[in-house]
Amino acid sequence: MSNVLGMVLAGGRVDELLCLTEMRPKSALPIFGTYRIIDFVLSNLMHAGISNVGVLSQYRPYALVRHIGTGEHWDFVGRSRGIRMLPPYRGFKASDWYKGTADAVYQNLSYIEHFDSAHLLIASADHVYRMDYRPFIQFHIENNADASVCFVKTRKRSARFGYGVIDRRGRLLDYQEKPTTPPSDWVSMTLYLFKTNFITDILQANAEESSHEFGRDIIPKIISTSRIYGYKHRGYWAYARTVNSYYNTNMDMIRKKVELQSWQIRTNLLERCTRADRLPAYIDGGVTDSVISEGCIVAGKVRNSLLSPGVIVASGAEVYDSIIFHDTVVQKNSKLKKVICDKDSVIGSECVIGGFGDEVPSAEFGDLLDSGITLLGRNTMVPDKTVIGANTTVYSSTKITATCIAPGSTLR
Amino acid sequence: MKKDVIAMLLAGGVGSRLNVLVRKRAKPAIPFGAIYRIIDFTMSNIANSNIDVVGVLTQYKPLSLMEHIDGGQSWDLFGRTRLVEILPPKTGEEISDWYKGTSDAIFQNIGFVEDYSPELVLVVSGDHIYAMNYHEVIAFHRDRKADATICLIRVPHEDVHHFGIAETDDQGRITNWVEKPKIARSNLASMGIYVFNRNPLTKTLTEAAKKSGTDFAKDVIPRMLQKKRVYGFVYNGYWRDVGTIHSYWRTNMDMLREDSGLRVKDWGIKTNQSTKGEVGDRSSTYISGKARIKNSLIARGCMIEGEVTNSVLSPGVRVARGARVTDSIVFHDSSIDTHALIQYSIVDKQVVIGDSARIGIGDPAPNKTFPNHLSSGITVIGKLAKIAPGITIGKNCVINPDVRLTSTKHKEIPSGSTI
Repeated sequence: MSNVLGMVLAGGRVDELLCLTEMRPKSALPIFGTYRIIDFVLSNLMHAGISNVGVLSQYRPYALVRHIGTGEHWDFVGRSRGIRMLPPYRGFKASDWYKGTADAVYQNLSYIEHFDSAHLLIASADHVYRMDYRPFIQFHIENNADASVCFVKTRKRSARFGYGVIDRRGRLLDYQEKPTTPPSDWVSMTLYLFKTNFITDILQANAEESSHEFGRDIIPKIISTSRIYGYKHRGYWAYARTVNSYYNTNMDMIRKKVELQSWQIRTNLLERCTRADRLPAYIDGGVTDSVISEGCIVAGKVRNSLLSPGVIVASGAEVYDSIIFHDTVVQKNSKLKKVICDKDSVIGSECVIGGFGDEVPSAEFGDLLDSGITLLGRNTMVPDKTVIGANTTVYSSTKITATCIAPGSTLR
Repeated sequence: MKKDVIAMLLAGGVGSRLNVLVRKRAKPAIPFGAIYRIIDFTMSNIANSNIDVVGVLTQYKPLSLMEHIDGGQSWDLFGRTRLVEILPPKTGEEISDWYKGTSDAIFQNIGFVEDYSPELVLVVSGDHIYAMNYHEVIAFHRDRKADATICLIRVPHEDVHHFGIAETDDQGRITNWVEKPKIARSNLASMGIYVFNRNPLTKTLTEAAKKSGTDFAKDVIPRMLQKKRVYGFVYNGYWRDVGTIHSYWRTNMDMLREDSGLRVKDWGIKTNQSTKGEVGDRSSTYISGKARIKNSLIARGCMIEGEVTNSVLSPGVRVARGARVTDSIVFHDSSIDTHALIQYSIVDKQVVIGDSARIGIGDPAPNKTFPNHLSSGITVIGKLAKIAPGITIGKNCVINPDVRLTSTKHKEIPSGSTI
């Protein structure tokens, strides 16, 4: 697919994920034990045979830069193959932070021109799905479309998305970003395919405007004047825009709704996996309905949970309905329920984290954290015998001094 | 490029006592401890001793070994001045033949050694499970101004017939050397690890070759003992020769015991996880609500719905509902169907054990074809074998690779059978 250039929108920080995106962009958030969210779009691009990809990143890109590395894990290495990080830069004229998704692409027009590809595929790095992009590209070319937008059917209409109305021939008749009453069940996947010449002109015109988002500013504007098509994707599609959706998407692995192995999702194993030379998981406890990664040592009980590499659950400890990131230690007799705990944390012995006060929403974040999940940021040290209520957020490296933390608290 | 020390790793051995495990691969390439291969221990020891040029001598079924070693990246032996080179037998103008023995393999590659003009040549084998900083023996070797130093370990007196046995004086100089004696005064056995000064080595190899000598223990060491300073360095740590089915099984089980002395993580043992079929392409292990796991090591990409006790599972193993795996070692991508039972067994890669099949059940009769190698009760099932539902297989059995056992032909396979 040398006539299609890929661009991945990976820069966004999402405040709604609270301490989980404090130190990393959402695309670099760990998921399903050993993956990061961006692995899905990169694997889709790889399987479609797209050989050059630019990654637009802005917010704390270090985790992402390290994760992508040379791109070898997705086969983006070779004479005519490559993956490039495209951070914001300073120049004579246009020099600034990216002011929106369209602006990020606009500021990298010289990268796009360098490849002279007929089409430009733009995909968000924030979604979890396996899709064969080739029929979508075929559809776009056969319709001689100026732009094609990919949609997926939703079960419940929410005001968070962009919605499209597509006619029988695939023509996109209407597109509304975050409408109060959605006009259809078809939600934009933030996956676009443009004729390169077409989008170059549009972006140059948009640069004069004050707002620069594909969903809000570009797509609605071009519908009436150009050949815009809507492609319907059928299959699993999930996202992690909020703590709840991130949690539920992870749990889909235990529910066997995501089939990472048959989807052939690739990740970079070096960081914290092979480079850490981990042993296989050692299990000598009650593990049920869970996902366990290498280097884990489980002597206690783990139920309905996902453990990333190197997690230790000591004897007598119970980890229920939780997601625990790399190298976190849960010491003896501690009980965790519905906890998302970031990397390198230590839960002391005989602690109780979560499992009570579910009905008390976060005082600071309200409905962003009200379903009983407790969030512990990276490098949290919880002293022995500490009790922490549900809907609490602990930002990374916070020193915890209180022995009892009420539900709905925020610690920084 | 000049190096002080280079390593020559002998990885060509057949290891025939390991039976079906070496039917499709060389002994150093046998999986060990769920994600490792036996050669990883020697490769990691070399890398951890900061020796950065390694020649790997292969001969017998080298493909899986070559794929595993790849460019040496996994052991950080990759770069402008760091390398692993595979040295297979080759044809040439003067010498062209298979390697006829351990010392012949080095002799045929003396050109590789000379390229680096090393002061010392470390000769090791890829057959053992241990951790050693080779600089300890190198320091000893230099201190004694030795021409050759052999690493020795104490073995039980009844085992001396498997080894080269040395007697030493109080300085460690070897005074007597016997290869595989029935009885011996000493129990200091050769570990197959040698440090040589390059010039005496080259000279002795050339002399031995003239007299058709091809083996370090039989031809080179006795020759050196006559004229040169040969010392023995006694090693006291954990070291296992996993040359038999029983010792291979027992050493794997050491992975599950904290006090066994096998400390893979602390030793910094590295393996290649990115070749095809290793953990690289797999997601984390899924454990269902009905699963029960006790004292077991479980690699990535497994799916466990049954019971696993005291066992070591490589990547991609499936244990279905109601199935039970006890005291066993299961290699990559083997599948144990519902209600099957496996005990005291070694199951090679991509084996399918059908519903309600029972493996390792019955009287302890030793194997009729290999009574010396298979008498401790362990049953071994070769790569890609298929065991139909309901079949019972006894103890000390060998099922060869690719065999398909159908329930019409073999309902019950008694202990000690080979199929």
